[in-house]
Amino acid sequence: MHNIALIFFRYGSHILFVALEILCFFLIVKYNQDKRDIFINSSNFYAGRITEQGDKMKQYLGLQEQNDSLLRENATLIENLITIEYSSDKIPEYDSLYTGFSIIPAYVCNSSIHLNNNHLTLCKGSREGIRPDMGVIASHKGIIGIVRNVSENFSHVISILHSQTRISCSIKGRSGHGSLIWTSPDPQRMTLTSIPKHETVMKGDTVITSGYSTIFPKGILVGTIEKIENQAGSNSHYITVKLFNDMAGTNYAYVVSNRFAGERLQLENEVANE
Amino acid sequence: MNNVLYIHGLRLVLVFLAQVLIFRQATYSLEGIAFVHILYYPMAFLMLPIKTSRSLVLLIAFLFGLCLDFFYNSPGIHAATCVFTAYVRILVIAFLEPFHGYSLDDSPTIHRLGLGWYVSFMSILLLVHVFTYFSLEAFSLVYFFSIFINSLFTFFASFAAIFISQFLFRFKH
Repeated sequence: MHNIALIFFRYGSHILFVALEILCFFLIVKYNQDKRDIFINSSNFYAGRITEQGDKMKQYLGLQEQNDSLLRENATLIENLITIEYSSDKIPEYDSLYTGFSIIPAYVCNSSIHLNNNHLTLCKGSREGIRPDMGVIASHKGIIGIVRNVSENFSHVISILHSQTRISCSIKGRSGHGSLIWTSPDPQRMTLTSIPKHETVMKGDTVITSGYSTIFPKGILVGTIEKIENQAGSNSHYITVKLFNDMAGTNYAYVVSNRFAGERLQLENEVANE
Repeated sequence: MNNVLYIHGLRLVLVFLAQVLIFRQATYSLEGIAFVHILYYPMAFLMLPIKTSRSLVLLIAFLFGLCLDFFYNSPGIHAATCVFTAYVRILVIAFLEPFHGYSLDDSPTIHRLGLGWYVSFMSILLLVHVFTYFSLEAFSLVYFFSIFINSLFTFFASFAAIFISQFLFRFKH
């Protein structure tokens, strides 16, 4: 008993200090609502942080899937956009059966741009509904090529940077149409020919697809006019077009499927065979 | 002895009123960077005579803090801070003990123990007090950076207030 009294006498201030602090903390936690929340949740904070990091990691691993879903989303948006361009004078009611065009997103597995005849390979094939003679576009800005051969999982695409390319194009806001060909070795520039000389064209005009073929829908933006040359003895302008899309950096592509292509081609062939 | 008791009692009350009525209103917000409070009151119990019983200092600090908490609507926070600072005060006094020791009726004032001693004594304890206060207010070290910034600005403002008041009001023995 004497010892206890002695200890208390000696360390009384320390004991009092601890006791008072405990009392204060009791008051703090009891009467301050927000402090109580923190007191209860403070340990959870660290747990939450760790979970968050884990989630981030998982998200990173799932980027591929996310890209896929974004790609699909984009495809739908482009479909809508084409619908609007297609029936330019009125805002269309969206109906996928009515538009005629559907979009299939695809990865580009392989591509070349520095050859005379360039090709691409897409990582999707007939299984996803890709058929020969479908158009391939970069997005609503820029065209890539035309599907030539299809296997079950891959498609072989003739790039627009090909000596045999002939794509029917017109100039936005002006009449007349011509063929887009690739003559220069520059993968950024193509040539628009067969636009008659009586049509006025201006530097900076936008070149769009004409929609006269079954391959590309009308109104896909191709590029801008960079230079107009008038060759002597020719009836048409010789127009250099700077492409919107960078063919070298193409990772994703959208294949345009025209639902009515078969019907239309059949009809046109019947006429031709008569 | 009665005189000393009277002076220190008066100081506690006056400092308390000054804090509650004047300095409590003076809170600035520095453009979202920090809050500047002026914590003038630690001076009241820090300037109790050096030879005061430790337990008495702790009790005074606790009651003083508790009274403040009624005005600040933060039960326990000021009290805990005051008790902690009062406890550290014992250590700081031992740490800063002059070569010839303290005399019996020394109070930690400028004219008793010199300017240098006073500044180091007050700045150490005030810093401890301010930092403890903001830590307890946030109640989590997660907000360490804002605690740190708030403490820094509040420390300078409070120290200036205490230092100036030392020259304005001199308790003459």
